[in-house]
Amino acid sequence: MRYIKWLFIVSFWVLVASFFHYTLPQKDIVRITDTYEKRIDFGENSIFWASADTGNSVTALNRDVFFIQSRQTSNNRVMVYRNEDTGWGWPPYLKFDTTNLQAEAADVKSTAAEPQYAIIKHYGWRNEFMSIFPNAISVKPVDGPDASKGIPFLNIIILSLFAMVVYFIWVRWRRFRMARIDPAIEEMQDNWDAAGDAVNDRRGRVRRWLSTWRAK
Amino acid sequence: MFALARLLFLGFIVLSVIYVCLSFYSRAVRRDKLRSEWDQDGMTGDRDAFVQQGLDDYDGSLRRKLILGVYVIPFVLMCVVIYLTNFA
Repeated sequence: MRYIKWLFIVSFWVLVASFFHYTLPQKDIVRITDTYEKRIDFGENSIFWASADTGNSVTALNRDVFFIQSRQTSNNRVMVYRNEDTGWGWPPYLKFDTTNLQAEAADVKSTAAEPQYAIIKHYGWRNEFMSIFPNAISVKPVDGPDASKGIPFLNIIILSLFAMVVYFIWVRWRRFRMARIDPAIEEMQDNWDAAGDAVNDRRGRVRRWLSTWRAK
Repeated sequence: MFALARLLFLGFIVLSVIYVCLSFYSRAVRRDKLRSEWDQDGMTGDRDAFVQQGLDDYDGSLRRKLILGVYVIPFVLMCVVIYLTNFA
């Protein structure tokens, strides 16, 4: 029983953590190697794609999506970003400048021989098994691969606010439980014990009566 | 435009719930303060009338209008985010 309870609690917090890890912005220092666009037919992975450019039809089943190919400086692996409007929807980046961003990214394209580095701010995950890509939010050219990414103030503020709300609810829930639920459970426990005693008592009496009929 | 309308509509509903809760809460706090002020200062006369008078003053005060910030702040925040994401 205890294991099941912990399983629930751990799954819940893993879900919360992955939600924030997916939604909050992160920065990568990369070298942009190419930009391209590709027609995407959304399937099982459709919730990991944002919306069509704001103002365009929302009923189309497929559309062209911009992509930015890059090589990350931190681990020297490749990373492919998609570049889509989030528009007025979720997550609330309110990004409308997808096409401009694609132009900016194409502008800092470089080769391994003559590298030009850039910071890409993005949210989302790359997953090869579901064909999902992080969504680029901004591209900023920087001097070198060791450039500072800055302090993630936004993430700090949002996570602190979230922690405050959780603590607020938790304190209230604990007080409510101590005041209302624990006494009720104790009372149930007492009643249960009392009922058990009564049953034992009665059974004892029946047994005693039966034993009077036994041959001594 | 539909997406914008949906955002504004949902935002308006959520913020209205917060606004109503906050204004009731703020009024209740003000009422408690007036009562404890009455009790501490050992005033004489009609306590309810004093509290009512204080609440009427509160209804016209700037402090109460500041609760409208519940609507204003997210809207300003939204505009700032739009500017920073797309134009900065």
